[in-house]
Amino acid sequence: MPWQDLPEEVAQHLQDLYDDLRARGASDEEARREVAAELSACGLREESESAPAAIFGDDARRSARASGGGAPLALIEAANFSHSPFADVGGDLRYACRALRRYPGFAAVVILTLALGIGANAAIFSVVNAVLLRPLPYDRDGRLVAVWGNLHKPGLEEIPGSAAEFVDYKARNRVFDAIAAHDTAGVNLTGFEQPERVPGAVTTASLFSMLGESPALGRSFVAADEQPGRNHVVIVSHSLWQRRLGGDPHVVGRTMAVDGTNVEIVGVMRAGFAFPDDVTELWQPLAFTAEDVSEDQRGSHSYTIIGRLKPGATVSHARAEMKTLGEQMGAEHRNVYRAGFSASVRPLHEELVGNVGPALFVLLAGVGVVLVIACANVANLLLARATARQKEMAIRAALGAGRMRIVGQLLTESVLLGLCGGALGLLLAVWGVHGLVALAPPSIPRLNEIGVDGRVVSLTSLVSMLTGVLFGLVPALHASRHDVHETLKDGTRTSADGGTRGRVRRALVISEVALSLVLLIAAGLLINSFARVQDVHPGFNPDHVLTARLALPPSTYTTLEQGHGFVADLFARLAEAHGVVAAAAINAVPFSGRGGDRSFFVEGRPVAPGEPSPDEQVRFATAGYFTAMQIPLVRGREFTAHDVDAALHVAVVNEAFARKYWPAPSSVEGPNESPLGKRVQFQQETTNRYEIVGVVGNVKHRALDVTEKPELYVPIFQPLFEGFRMPPMDLVVRTASDPVLFAPALREIVTALDRDQPISDVRTLEQRIGQSLASRRFNMLLLGLFAALALVLAAVGIYGVVAYTVTERTHEIGVRLALGAQPRDVLAMLVGQGMTLAAAGAAIGIVIAVALTRVMAGLLFGISPTDPATFGVITGVLALVALVACYLPARRATGVNPVTALRNE
Amino acid sequence: MQHIKSQMLDRELKEGSAELLILSLVEDQPRHGYDLSKLIEARSEGVLKFRVASLYPLLYRLEKRGWIQGRWIEKAGQRRRRYYRLTPAGEQVLKSQRNTWREFAEAINRVAGVEST
Repeated sequence: MPWQDLPEEVAQHLQDLYDDLRARGASDEEARREVAAELSACGLREESESAPAAIFGDDARRSARASGGGAPLALIEAANFSHSPFADVGGDLRYACRALRRYPGFAAVVILTLALGIGANAAIFSVVNAVLLRPLPYDRDGRLVAVWGNLHKPGLEEIPGSAAEFVDYKARNRVFDAIAAHDTAGVNLTGFEQPERVPGAVTTASLFSMLGESPALGRSFVAADEQPGRNHVVIVSHSLWQRRLGGDPHVVGRTMAVDGTNVEIVGVMRAGFAFPDDVTELWQPLAFTAEDVSEDQRGSHSYTIIGRLKPGATVSHARAEMKTLGEQMGAEHRNVYRAGFSASVRPLHEELVGNVGPALFVLLAGVGVVLVIACANVANLLLARATARQKEMAIRAALGAGRMRIVGQLLTESVLLGLCGGALGLLLAVWGVHGLVALAPPSIPRLNEIGVDGRVVSLTSLVSMLTGVLFGLVPALHASRHDVHETLKDGTRTSADGGTRGRVRRALVISEVALSLVLLIAAGLLINSFARVQDVHPGFNPDHVLTARLALPPSTYTTLEQGHGFVADLFARLAEAHGVVAAAAINAVPFSGRGGDRSFFVEGRPVAPGEPSPDEQVRFATAGYFTAMQIPLVRGREFTAHDVDAALHVAVVNEAFARKYWPAPSSVEGPNESPLGKRVQFQQETTNRYEIVGVVGNVKHRALDVTEKPELYVPIFQPLFEGFRMPPMDLVVRTASDPVLFAPALREIVTALDRDQPISDVRTLEQRIGQSLASRRFNMLLLGLFAALALVLAAVGIYGVVAYTVTERTHEIGVRLALGAQPRDVLAMLVGQGMTLAAAGAAIGIVIAVALTRVMAGLLFGISPTDPATFGVITGVLALVALVACYLPARRATGVNPVTALRNE
Repeated sequence: MQHIKSQMLDRELKEGSAELLILSLVEDQPRHGYDLSKLIEARSEGVLKFRVASLYPLLYRLEKRGWIQGRWIEKAGQRRRRYYRLTPAGEQVLKSQRNTWREFAEAINRVAGVEST
C-alpha cells in the first residue's frame, strides 16, 4: 500500500472540492476558504485525541513515520498548490512552530547555539553603541568641540589651553556661540565625621548652559561667580548630595568646607550627570586672576577648552578659523611661543572615545566571526535534518507546492529559529552587559551609559532575522531541489560522500575551522602579549607598597615650610609605626596616571632664540624615595633629609635622561659621560641651579608596555621659584606585611596630625600596575572567550559531520567489517576524513590570520602579528580538538555489528 | 475496568461504523475518495461528514488489510484519480460487519425502546 500516493490523492480531493463549490456558485474566495477549512481540520485532528483521530488511529501515523514523511496531516495543511492560493505568513508560522515542536531537541540545540552567537554580539554591540555610536548625552547635535593648542614641538602638538589663551579665544573667535574652560581639581571636604578627598572640577560659568544642563536644585554658575573673591560657591553632584548632605532638599544656601574654606552650595546636579568624567562630584567656578591671564602665565597650559559651534558652522570651519587665530596669537607672543603656535579643534565625542575605538572594533569583529561560525553550525544541522525531511518536502512538492513555496516555508522556519535565538540572546546580552561593565577597564569612557537600549534590540532583531536567512537559505534551496519520484521511491539511500549536500556540509565545516582558527590565533597573540607585558620589570619593586594621595590644602598650608613641617612629622610617625619598612613621597608615583613635563636648561648649553628649550618629565620627591621604591641607584647618591632650600640645590636623573643629554662619544663603545656635577635650571635667567648628584634606574611610569622616558627628579623642598607651594603628593609606604592592611593605620596617623586632612586613592603599587593592564586584560579575556566559543562550535561542527557520516555509512562500514576490515582501519578512515576537513580549514585559517592579524598590531606587545610560535601552538590545539571531535563519533562506527548493519538494509 | 471496556467498545464501534460505511459504498462500483465523502454526506443528509484527514487514512488502512483495493485510473480530459473497489475478502468482512451492526442496532433499539416507553 503506497503511502506516498496520499499527497496526490488528497490534492485531487481538494481540487474536486474547490471545483464543486465553484460549480455550485461559490466565489473563488469562498471556495478557497472552504478548502482551507478542510485543511485546518486536518491540523486539529492531528493535535487532539478527538474521535476522528481515534478512528484513523495509530496506523496512519505509523505508516507515515515508516515512510519518513513526518506527520502527513500537518504537511497537508501547510502544502499549497502550485499557484499558491493559500500561502500566508500566519500559516507558515503556525506550521513552522509545529515543525519545531516535533523536534524539540533539535530546536533547543539550534536556538542555544544562535543565542550564544547573537547574545555575545548584542552584548558587545551594546558597548560599542553606548561608547562610540550614541551621541553624548549633553551633545545631541554634535556641536561641541575641544580646542587644543599646538606648540610645534614633538609631543606638544596637542596641549590644553592657558587662561590667557582662553580669554583670547573667547574674545576673538567667530565660530563658537559659547566657549568654556575647565580643569579637574580634587578637593578636601571637611566638617564631616571623616575628611574626604573628592574628585572635582573648576569651570567657567558658561559650561553648564553649553552642555544644556542646569542643576536639578538651585542655580547654575553666573558671570559674577567668575570674579576672584566672589567664587566661593559650589555645585555638587547628585551622589555627593545623597552621600554627604543627606539628600537635604533645602541644601541650597548651606555652606560646607572645601579645602578649608567655607563655600556656599548653590546647586545640585541631576542624577547621572557626568562631566568631564564619571567620577566628578563637585564643580567650582573658575575665577581667573590678573596673574592667571598675565603674559607670565600664558605658557601654563592646564585648561581643557571646549566650544559650541554656531548653528551652521562646521568642524572644518572651526578648524580653519582656530588655526589662523592661534597663529596670530603665536606671532603676537613670540617670547612665549618660541617655536610658533596654532590651535586645532576636534569633535568632543571623538575626543572622548577616540582611542578605545580600535580595540572595540576588533572585539566586534571577533564576536561577529563567532556568529558566522554559529550560523555555519546551524546550517549544517539543518542540512543533516533536511535529509531526514526529504520525504516531507517531496510530499509537499507532490501536493503541488512550488519550489519557492517550500523555500519560503523552510526560511520561515529558520527565521523563526533565528528570532527565538535572538530573543534568548538578548536575555543573555542583558546579563552579559552587566558582566562586561564590571570587567571593563575604567579607561573605557561612558561605562555608566552601557546598556541594552532600543537600538540594540532593533539591531539584534535584524541580525536574528538575517541570521535565519543566512543559515536557512542553503539548506532550503537544497531541500527544495528534489526529484520527487526519486525521493519517494523506497530505499533511496543518500551517500554521505556523494552529492552537493555532502559537499556543502564539508565546505561549512572547513570554513568554521578556518574562522575559529583566525579567532584563536588573534586571542593567542593577545594572551601572549599579555604574558609578555606582565613579565616586564617596571624598574621598581611593587611588592608590599601602599600608596595614597595626600593633598595639603593651600588655605591651611600656605607656605612650603608648613607643608614641610607636616611631612616631616608624618614620616617621623611612620618610621615608628609597626611594620613600616620605608616611607617617602613623590608628586606623581608610577602608574598613578599623574605627572608632567617641564622645560629646563642645561648649564653651558644656551638655547638659541627661536629654538625650543629641552622639555622632560620632572618629578618632586622626598628623601628616601628611591630606597622606598627600590629603584636602583646607578651612580652618586639619592635625596636625603638635608636636601632643603637652604642647602645646595640638587637633582637626580634617570639613565634615559643621562644617556640623552650626556651620551657616550659616538666613536667609542662604553659608558656615557657622567652627568654627576652637571647643573640644570628651570628658568633661563636664574641663579637657582640644581646639581645632578645621582643617576637612578629607569622606571615605567604610565604603563608596562611603553618605553621609559627621561626623568628629572628634584627634592620637593627645594622650590623651583619664588612662591612654589607643595604640590599634592603620593605617599609611598613599603610594609613588612600585607600593605592593604596598613591603610587604616596610615589614615589614622594622618588624621592624628591634622583632623581635617584626608588621604585618597589608597592603593598598592601592585593594584596600580594591575589596573594599568585592565584594558589589555579586558580585550584578552573577551577575545579569548569568543575564540573558545568558536573552537567549541567548530568542534561540534566536525563532530556532527563525522557522526553523520557514520550514521549514513553504517551499511558500508558493516560490509567492510564483514569483509574482514579491522576496526582500527575503519577508525583511521573516518578520523582521516574528518581531519582532512580540519587540515583544509586550518590551512585557509592560517592564510586569513596572516592577512588579518596585522590590524591588531597596535594591541600586541613584544610579539609579531605573525608570530610563528603562536600560530604553531594554536594550530596544534585546534588539531587536537579536531582529533577528539573526529575520534568520538568514529569510535562508535567500529562497534557496528556487520550482521545488524546488513539486515537493516 | 468497566470504564476501559466501555471506552474500547466505543472506539471499536466508531471505527467499525466508519469501515462499514466505506465498504458498503464501494460494494456496487469502484469509487474515488472525493466521491465517497460526498456520498456519505449526501446519504446521511449531512449528519455524517468525513474530512480529508479521516477519510484517507481509513481508506489506506482498509486497503492494507486487503478489504479494498485502490487503482489509479485516468479518464480523458481529467487528472488521474484513485478508485477503490471491494475485494473478495472485503465482501466477507462487509457481510459480517453488516450482521454485527444489525444485531448491535437491534440490541440498542430493544434496550432504548424499553427505556423510552
